Amino acid sequence: MELLSLSLLGGLLALEGTSFGQFMASRPIVAATAAGWVLGDPGSGLLLGGMLELLHLSVMPVGGARFPELGPAAVVAVATAVAAGGGGGIALGCLMALAWGQLGGASIVLLRRVNGWIAPDPLTNPASPSGTEWRHLAATALDLARGTVLTVAGILVGVRVVAPVSAYWPLGRGATIGLVLVAAAMPAGALLRTFGGVRRRGVLFALGVLAGLVGSLLL
Amino acid sequence: MREIRSGVLLRAFLRSFLIQGSWNYRTMIGNGFGFALMPVLRWLYRDDPDGLARATARHTEHFNAHPYMAGLAIGATARMEADGAAPEAVRRFKSAVRGPLGGLGDRLVWAGLLPCTVLVALVLAVVGADAGVVVVTFLVLYNLGHLTVRGWAFRTGVDAGPGVGSRLAAVDLGGKAERVQGVGVVLLGVLTGLLTARAVSAGGPGWAAAAAGAAMLAVGGKVGLRIWRPMSAVLMVLIVMLTVWGTLT
Repeated sequence: MELLSLSLLGGLLALEGTSFGQFMASRPIVAATAAGWVLGDPGSGLLLGGMLELLHLSVMPVGGARFPELGPAAVVAVATAVAAGGGGGIALGCLMALAWGQLGGASIVLLRRVNGWIAPDPLTNPASPSGTEWRHLAATALDLARGTVLTVAGILVGVRVVAPVSAYWPLGRGATIGLVLVAAAMPAGALLRTFGGVRRRGVLFALGVLAGLVGSLLL
Repeated sequence: MREIRSGVLLRAFLRSFLIQGSWNYRTMIGNGFGFALMPVLRWLYRDDPDGLARATARHTEHFNAHPYMAGLAIGATARMEADGAAPEAVRRFKSAVRGPLGGLGDRLVWAGLLPCTVLVALVLAVVGADAGVVVVTFLVLYNLGHLTVRGWAFRTGVDAGPGVGSRLAAVDLGGKAERVQGVGVVLLGVLTGLLTARAVSAGGPGWAAAAAGAAMLAVGGKVGLRIWRPMSAVLMVLIVMLTVWGTLT
């Protein structure tokens, strides 16, 4: 039942991220928390979702560029992490998310090639008005199927193959989170550069850091 | 000039949420553009099946733009079709706007609104907010901006037709993106401060992690957006190596 719910969730998130709306329900912080809710552990979902957001801060789905698909990957990550538990669950959940994000990105490229066959060339083989609509909806439905299959495969690999290895993970929960956060500082630096860089925005950034430090003392 | 019924325009606007459904490398969102515009085309060419077929072929040609800003081109194209503009003029208009609509949308949304609202959610998560509060705050904040952009773009397109360029210049989306990014810098700083304080409070290893994090931040700032590929690869290899090491010890 959980596999069915999570797979459908992954499929809908894939659809939302690429074909329908882009309301950002497919962002890891939402997708992973939703998967956590399905598995009865929203806290783990939020933790993994937050770390995956940090790791992907510098990923922008610009134009036709290939980018990791985060929605289904976040669902797979939480399923793996909850099955494994502890620091190993967090590390292997991140591993699965990074791998499945790439696989999802590759499957989007493949889908877009297939869509080129579904949607005919209007210059040489124009479709009728209703044909245009049906072909568009067929391509959209194919995206839903792609996301669902991707999520099922990821959950099976994550829970059955990867999670059992977590017993050998040598770091505790705190150290594992620290390791991931240190890696996530790189995309954060890249985002700072996108926002204008230290030279242009250094004062604003320093004020923010100060506010964060003071805030942590008050909380 | 013919008026387009508001129900027809509403259907076109709602369909624009699906514009990327058949994204492909030949026409990009061209087929989706035709899909979204179809209610308008069916209304305008309701007594002219051949005209509808020709219009469908024209409007499924190559097109690309940011998905939220594409509504501006859909609305303006609907207005031009209703006004009886020549097909070549509509084609030229679509060619002219697709680049600016892509660039402005990418800057305002992907490099502004999205990371800013993600950072708000991350700050809330780090200070211990409930998972539901984090998720709902993010979705509400993001989609307030998202739906405002989509709604404004479509309405402006329908109102201004081929004159959308002056409307775009008047609202100064580039300046708005700049201000949103300024807020993002502060939020990124707050998040950095919170995480640094938390790491340092853990003692010796925490200081090392904070120092390593500062170094990684500098590396990311030097390399830029393409950092995610090598960073992902290194982190995956590191996790695998540590797991293998764990099995051997």
